[in-house]
Amino acid sequence: MAIENQYEYVKAKNLDEVVGLLQRFKNAVILSGGTDLVELLKTGAVHPDVVIDIKGLDFLKDIRLGNNILWIGAGVTFSELIDSEIINEHFPIIAEMSKTVASVGIRNRATMVGNICSAVPCMDSGPVLSVYKARIITDGQIGERQIPIEQWFVGNRKTALFKNEIVKGISIPVPDKKHSGCFVKLRRYSGEDLAQVNLAILAFDDYSFRITFGAVAPTPVRAMRIERLINRMKLVPELMEKAQQLVEDDIAPITDIRATKEYRLHMAKVMLERGLNAALDRLNGGGPAYGKSVI
Amino acid sequence: MKKEIGFLLNGERRTIEVSPSEILLEVLRDRLGLNSPKCGCDRGDCGTCSVMINGKTVRSCLVLAIEVEDQEVVTLEGIMQNGLTPLQESFLKHNSFQCGFCAPGVILSTTELLAKNPHPNKEEIQEAIAGNLCRCTGYSPIIDAVVDLVK
Amino acid sequence: MDDYKFIGKSSVRVDGKVKISGSAQFIDDLDFGPNLLFAEIVESKFAHAIINSIDTSEAEKIPGVVKIVTGKDFPFRFGLYMHDRYIFAQDRVRFVGEQVAAVIARDAVTAKAAAKLVKVDYTELTPVLSVEQALGDSPFLIHPDLKDYHHVPWFFPQTNSNVAHLRKVRNGNVEEAFADSDFVLDDVYTVPRYAHCALEVHGAVGLLDHSGRLTVWTASQSPHTQRHLFAEALAPLGFQHKDVRVITSFVGGGFGGKAGVSMEILGAALATKVKGNPVKILWSRAQEFYNTYQRQGVVARLKVGVKNDGTITALEHTLYWDAGAYVEYGANVVNAAGLSATGPYRIPNIKIDSFCVYTNLPPGGPYRGFGYSEFLFGLESHINELAKKIKMDPVELRKKNAIREGDRLTYGAKMNPNGLMEAIDKVAKEIEWGKKETSSDPNKVIGKGFSLFWKAPAMPPNASSSAFLKFNEDASLNILVSGMEIGQGYLTVLAQIAAEVLSVPVEKIRVETPDTDRNPYEWQTVASHVTWGCGNAVKQAAEDAREQIFDLIERANGKKREELYLDDECVRSKVEKDFSLPLKNFIISGIQKEDGTFRGGPVIGRGMFMPEFASALSDPETSQGGHPNVHYTVGAAAVKIEIDKQTGKVKIPKVVLAVDCGKALNPDLVNGQITGGILQGIATVLYEDMRFDDKGKLINANFSDYKIPTAMDIPDEVVPIIIEVAQPDGPYGARGMGEHTMIPAAPIIANAVEDALGIRIKSMPITAEKIALAVKNRGKD
Repeated sequence: MAIENQYEYVKAKNLDEVVGLLQRFKNAVILSGGTDLVELLKTGAVHPDVVIDIKGLDFLKDIRLGNNILWIGAGVTFSELIDSEIINEHFPIIAEMSKTVASVGIRNRATMVGNICSAVPCMDSGPVLSVYKARIITDGQIGERQIPIEQWFVGNRKTALFKNEIVKGISIPVPDKKHSGCFVKLRRYSGEDLAQVNLAILAFDDYSFRITFGAVAPTPVRAMRIERLINRMKLVPELMEKAQQLVEDDIAPITDIRATKEYRLHMAKVMLERGLNAALDRLNGGGPAYGKSVI
Repeated sequence: MKKEIGFLLNGERRTIEVSPSEILLEVLRDRLGLNSPKCGCDRGDCGTCSVMINGKTVRSCLVLAIEVEDQEVVTLEGIMQNGLTPLQESFLKHNSFQCGFCAPGVILSTTELLAKNPHPNKEEIQEAIAGNLCRCTGYSPIIDAVVDLVK
Repeated sequence: MDDYKFIGKSSVRVDGKVKISGSAQFIDDLDFGPNLLFAEIVESKFAHAIINSIDTSEAEKIPGVVKIVTGKDFPFRFGLYMHDRYIFAQDRVRFVGEQVAAVIARDAVTAKAAAKLVKVDYTELTPVLSVEQALGDSPFLIHPDLKDYHHVPWFFPQTNSNVAHLRKVRNGNVEEAFADSDFVLDDVYTVPRYAHCALEVHGAVGLLDHSGRLTVWTASQSPHTQRHLFAEALAPLGFQHKDVRVITSFVGGGFGGKAGVSMEILGAALATKVKGNPVKILWSRAQEFYNTYQRQGVVARLKVGVKNDGTITALEHTLYWDAGAYVEYGANVVNAAGLSATGPYRIPNIKIDSFCVYTNLPPGGPYRGFGYSEFLFGLESHINELAKKIKMDPVELRKKNAIREGDRLTYGAKMNPNGLMEAIDKVAKEIEWGKKETSSDPNKVIGKGFSLFWKAPAMPPNASSSAFLKFNEDASLNILVSGMEIGQGYLTVLAQIAAEVLSVPVEKIRVETPDTDRNPYEWQTVASHVTWGCGNAVKQAAEDAREQIFDLIERANGKKREELYLDDECVRSKVEKDFSLPLKNFIISGIQKEDGTFRGGPVIGRGMFMPEFASALSDPETSQGGHPNVHYTVGAAAVKIEIDKQTGKVKIPKVVLAVDCGKALNPDLVNGQITGGILQGIATVLYEDMRFDDKGKLINANFSDYKIPTAMDIPDEVVPIIIEVAQPDGPYGARGMGEHTMIPAAPIIANAVEDALGIRIKSMPITAEKIALAVKNRGKD
């Protein structure tokens, strides 16, 4: 299906050009992988004046680790994350999550930044970036902004990005404590499928946790009540059960085509238990290999 | 609005004038006469439109033609310049495909896999073609052909 | 034993190379030149509404728009088994997405943009979205003129109702039998609608040239039936069959969805409005979901009586089919299921009512399995529940009642030879029936499920096949048939049949997809009948050619024909060991006599097959008499599953399916049908279903939410078992088996879930969600 609306296309040569175009055109969109955008162009859901392709900006392709900060450029695809030694060594949960995104042909093109800019509730990147306390680095006429992940998502398909801004990349501080984690994705199929519920967990060696659910609300939900309950506690079965009960306080999923509210709640509890156990086992050098689903 | 772009298509330098709204899949099929990429869903869900850009499979239904300027595009037609590949011969021997509509995409996905990982295990093969839907075969004759080839 | 050279061998597919090289041309790959026009339809927004007016004026103003067509242009009713549909909606629309008008333009983008500008003024009516609603008190009639509709003689519409057809089968006395039974079990099973999901969408290109010749290129399982329906539906425009030509290239998956005529009529009809220009209409994936045939949903009330010794005494099966807005094809699914709703069991007392119910949902129609998958889900679930009640092993119960050769079928005829018992025993052994297994993971339980299956081709009694076979100079040959290669490997099997008769290797035989002008008649490629029907025709054509060859050798060389045989592409003699005449020496050019003259000429074989014993005439109240089904293919299947009790997820370590195909002409292709069919079946029970909103709109018309299994969602092991009890009238004993491989999938899974968890789920699909919540809520009520 061809795209009905006409627009200009610019393959940007530098960031200034992008910022200038974003300023000049009322309706400009950034194109990187295009796996979401092209579909939106086809259906007419998005009808821009200009499409700014940023794939020519080499500096956006960086996966870089320095000063205990990981940098993932806006042009980095999920396949590149999966193949990155830095990611596998220092951020295996990002690799674990990336492997669950769609399928190879999409991951070769789709970027993590694109994923959080589309910001559909079932996205897989959101919960992981949430537990890592990522910051989204934007640029535009008003200059660079660093937006904490918890302020990034503002609604279904809505982010804190201003209309004339671009996301340059994501910065993630390396946690200062020994840690492990787990990404759990509930989906109907083992192959390419969207999340019914997803969950990211970081477990630290002081037995504190960061836990974020996705696809259970318009934006990722940090499970603060659960974290407060279990932080620095021994996760005995009674405590696990209490934590599971708190799921219903922390999240309020809906029924849609992919799952009922009841199943989502039920599974969020199952995923919490299995994810926590896997994360703790991994912390101690055991547990399932990263990438092996616990559900 | 239209722009002339040059790119490497199946090893040959091609130039074509495209408008920014044209989809790579449609340009390949309707204007350049390459029919191996198919349109199965037109939204990236099925994998029948797979082509390679710079050695990696992509959904050509989700790529603007104008994006491939100065890139290297390979369709199934482009991997057969020395005849059928050993992978294709294995698919032939195993009667791997039935209706054949998904075949070009599956072959490109497995070609990409083998370039990266010449001895994949069964799970890796399954993972590599998980984005290529096939309704006919139950996938096992496809997987068997790859397993047989790399063993 | 057989001493075949080509039959029973796993030849490489004759269409293998063309497919793996990407050279196979499908409908959208054909080139029609710069004059090609594109059509886009205007769709109904409502499931049920009166069309007050259609305003095309805005759309007509768009540059590039060539023609706009509405229902007024084609006020003709048509259909396959019942004339109940129109090319475009007339005074009312009956489902969301129904075609109301079409815009033909120079390019697809313009057609699409202009179609949005066509304004249709509707008066919305209450939609009838379920069989309960359709059959309720004073329901809204979806087809008020039903009584006037032309239909085949074996349909029985119920006037002043939404029942388009009611198939009743009666034998014995069920009431008495239930009273005499030790146990009677009564329950209701429901099955939703499903989509075929061939990877290729439907498409058609029509061209009416200035000489009055209508050519339609389609992606179709049924080129001749399409030609017939095009000629019939457009008859008021003066077409004879000879003026209509259907050309079908490779088809990217059928599964029943490309049988009959669905959207292809638009290609034919629109062409008549833009003479001299080819016009193309191609469905989007969404349209593929909501405006082609869907597998019908069914609500099945089932009551079965059994004696303590396991003898099934009586069956009462009432099937309410949600057949959708038009039933011209779907009503025959209802009919076929009604005739066979006992399953492969010997049951003396039966009462079956199979209701074809109009609803304001998309038209139902043929789908691999043709109604049998749907009723078998309930029936085979029920058999297990009965076994439990009388404390009998469910496989034993099945064996005790399984139908055997010569047993009475529901309509009175006798069951054909079959290997059902052998299938049951082999499957039970392979799945280690009776061996309980436990998982090392405390969250997981293992269960096994078993089911029998059967299916007969559902076709008119006079459905026929024919074949031409022509030799080339080098004794290679071309076979002309009109059956369709839809992936099943049919072209290969036909080549093997001809190869066997004529001693010409498969590699020297070309079989191509049809063109109704050149290829002889075939009814349709459906019903798992073409290997049998068209296979017979090809065998006859090959034998016809062989006899011509022997005639010639007798005439030209003075050999006795009864001493001749074909071997290695030569004519040889049983008595003269030295005589060996290569076919290529004479097959076109003839045999030269001493005086320089020639005898012979191009050898062309002709074959035809029609099952002359079949009849669809029977007593409408009981279905007794007649012989509507030509034969049944039977088999058994079993599965071992592992269920995660918390997530409800089902893993399949092993699935086994044995099918009696009479003779596996190509075992590899039979196995291919099994691995493919079983996964398609498993998908219907574990994952898929069509979801409609409360206005009748399909809400998962895409592969994101009506998703089919990926390569990571397959059983760990599929064990195909081929049983060969010859079909006496089949080519080399073969009978069809393509559809059968998906039919038992739902009940084996349902029974395995019950075996593992003790939970009987009576509505499909049995998703992880349904299982997990059933486990969670167990004991709550």
